[in-house]
Amino acid sequence: MAETAQVPARRTRRVMARREARWGLLFVLPAFLLFLVFRFGPAIAGLVLGFMDYTIGADAEWTGLDNARRLAEDPVFWQALRVTVVYTLLYVPLTVAVSVGLALLVRRGFRGVGFFRSVFFLPVVTSLVLVATIFAWVFSSDGPWSRILGWFGLPDDSWLASTTLVLPALALVGVWSHFGYGMLIVLARLQDLPREQEEAALTDGAGPWQRFRWIVLPQLRPVLFFLLVIETTASFQVFDLVYAMTGGGPARASYTLVMALYDQGFKYFDLGYASAIGVALFVLTLFVALIQRLALGRDK
Amino acid sequence: MRVRRFAPVAVAALVAGLLAACGGGSGDSGGGSDEKASVTMWIYPVIPDQATHTAFWNEQVTAFKTSHPNIDVKVEIFPWAKREESLTTAIAGGKGPDVVYLIPDQLGKFNKMIEPLDDYLPADAKADYLDNVKAAVTLDGKMLGAPILTSSNPLMCNAKVFAEAGITDYPETWDDLLALAPQFKAKGFDVTNYYADPAATLNQSFYPLLWQAGGDVFSKDGKKVAFDGPEGVKALTFLKQLADGGYVQKDLLTSIPAFEQTNVAKNKVACTWQHVPADVKTFWGADNIKIFPPLKDAKSVGYGTVGSLAMLKGSSAKKAAGEWITFASQPSVTSAYETKSGYFPAKKSAGTLYASDPINSAMEKTLASTTVGALNEKSREVMGVLAPEIQAALIGKKTPEQALADAAKAANALL
Repeated sequence: MAETAQVPARRTRRVMARREARWGLLFVLPAFLLFLVFRFGPAIAGLVLGFMDYTIGADAEWTGLDNARRLAEDPVFWQALRVTVVYTLLYVPLTVAVSVGLALLVRRGFRGVGFFRSVFFLPVVTSLVLVATIFAWVFSSDGPWSRILGWFGLPDDSWLASTTLVLPALALVGVWSHFGYGMLIVLARLQDLPREQEEAALTDGAGPWQRFRWIVLPQLRPVLFFLLVIETTASFQVFDLVYAMTGGGPARASYTLVMALYDQGFKYFDLGYASAIGVALFVLTLFVALIQRLALGRDK
Repeated sequence: MRVRRFAPVAVAALVAGLLAACGGGSGDSGGGSDEKASVTMWIYPVIPDQATHTAFWNEQVTAFKTSHPNIDVKVEIFPWAKREESLTTAIAGGKGPDVVYLIPDQLGKFNKMIEPLDDYLPADAKADYLDNVKAAVTLDGKMLGAPILTSSNPLMCNAKVFAEAGITDYPETWDDLLALAPQFKAKGFDVTNYYADPAATLNQSFYPLLWQAGGDVFSKDGKKVAFDGPEGVKALTFLKQLADGGYVQKDLLTSIPAFEQTNVAKNKVACTWQHVPADVKTFWGADNIKIFPPLKDAKSVGYGTVGSLAMLKGSSAKKAAGEWITFASQPSVTSAYETKSGYFPAKKSAGTLYASDPINSAMEKTLASTTVGALNEKSREVMGVLAPEIQAALIGKKTPEQALADAAKAANALL
């Protein structure tokens, strides 16, 4: 008797679940359509344009791998790629290190911790163009950075005018404007970690570095993987900071891939070639993300 | 290998969200005598004072309306900075203007989007243009713009700086400038200035030197670049001597500071070919501005632009736009515009505008020594690859020969 009563109840639950799923799909549909039209569509269009010769005001023509061949032979593309990779190598480790360091500092509850957390996050919500304008002055030959260097007897030339120092300068500004986001992510994970292991290690005489290295850091691995992927993608796509601070100079020493894409697309109207640069950037980002996954995120 | 041809409309549909439409011509020719039409014109701060500039065009629109009651004209004034990007994105989005102010190398760049004006301008108006002015806006035999002004960038010197340095001889040649350079430096002045930041146009910086050395940007047939020849190397070597000697403001080699922060504005530069009197009058004082013919090496030649009104193919009111351009480019309108903005006539019938103004009168006399250079579809792209290489040479990263050879290799791939 009891068994026969359970069957209709299960059926009713399945019907309800199906109905809920339908409603769920209906609610998701607008966002999905927007994604399709404004994200997925343009991405596919960009991919297709990468195989075409297209400029505004003229017919688009299918040119196969012509743009890819042109990329391979274009010294400006290779230089932009080199600049982008160097910027990434400077920016990503520094951002992750500063994010973890500051998250550890503001992890414990102490008087005024909320103030410090807010202050550290402030650069993230500050306009990047504003940041770039101010730091362009900071690093100029008349700016405070040059004066500080001068006090220590170091060369006081503008870092933004040096082909060697322009990328470190940009990376420092990039880190300054982004570390708050990473800090927030790491902090959220740190607050989730059980304290028992650390307390046990403390009882066993482990120092702060040992506790961090052998207990905290391994547990941060998924968060670090996420941060590495996000920050690497952001650094490959760096544009606004470079555009506003150096315009890609001096002598293309800070000319990144997205600057090259922008120039080809919006200065020279070569939208097919600009799209090919975009495709190359996508492939590069995907490749690096896969390597990062193999190295850090395979267990998660 | 080109295997398929796609209509721009199809591509535009694909790139929804990035590029809304290709802005192709609609073929409409509204604005006939009975038909209502609306024309939008984009122009830039040719008259620097916004209020004066706006009032000028309001006045012209009112005058035009009396003879063309069915045509509404809207003039929009945008900043000079990033104007090409703004125009490009507007055209791509199908929101471009009907008429836009362009200079010759922009006419080359936008030529696929421009409606030639040969059939819209009256024959007498076309015949009235100075020959070199008409040539500056003509590509493949088609007149792409209706010139409304010309300009000159001759050599301009600051008499106050010469007096303070105790120097009385003004330079005429490159050798004169190089000889004066250490004398000015010893007194704390720069002999000249040079904007090497790639954001600065080469039209006003490097190209005049290239022309003065007897060279040119493009070969005669326009299919190769020619700036990497001995003349180009000579011009860049001359610049490098100025940079290496510390005879020009170092900051300008890598950035474009606010004009107030430049040595030109601070009365620390003896002579320049990269500014005009309107830029420096308030800083130098009118009495200290001395105008001379462009510097000479093999020849004396400077840059002079031709500002023109062009019609875009995407205009839905081409006939009305043509009538507005005809009106706005007639001498009675352009002469008033030129005197308010400090520019010079493009038409023969306009004659001399500045007989009683010593500075502009001197400028006017240098017009014959100016050129816009050859009109080439790829002018801006070539400038884009050449400018960073010139900068690399001036900050010591490459030799002049190497920089120009690298630029030529990249530029020839574009042509």
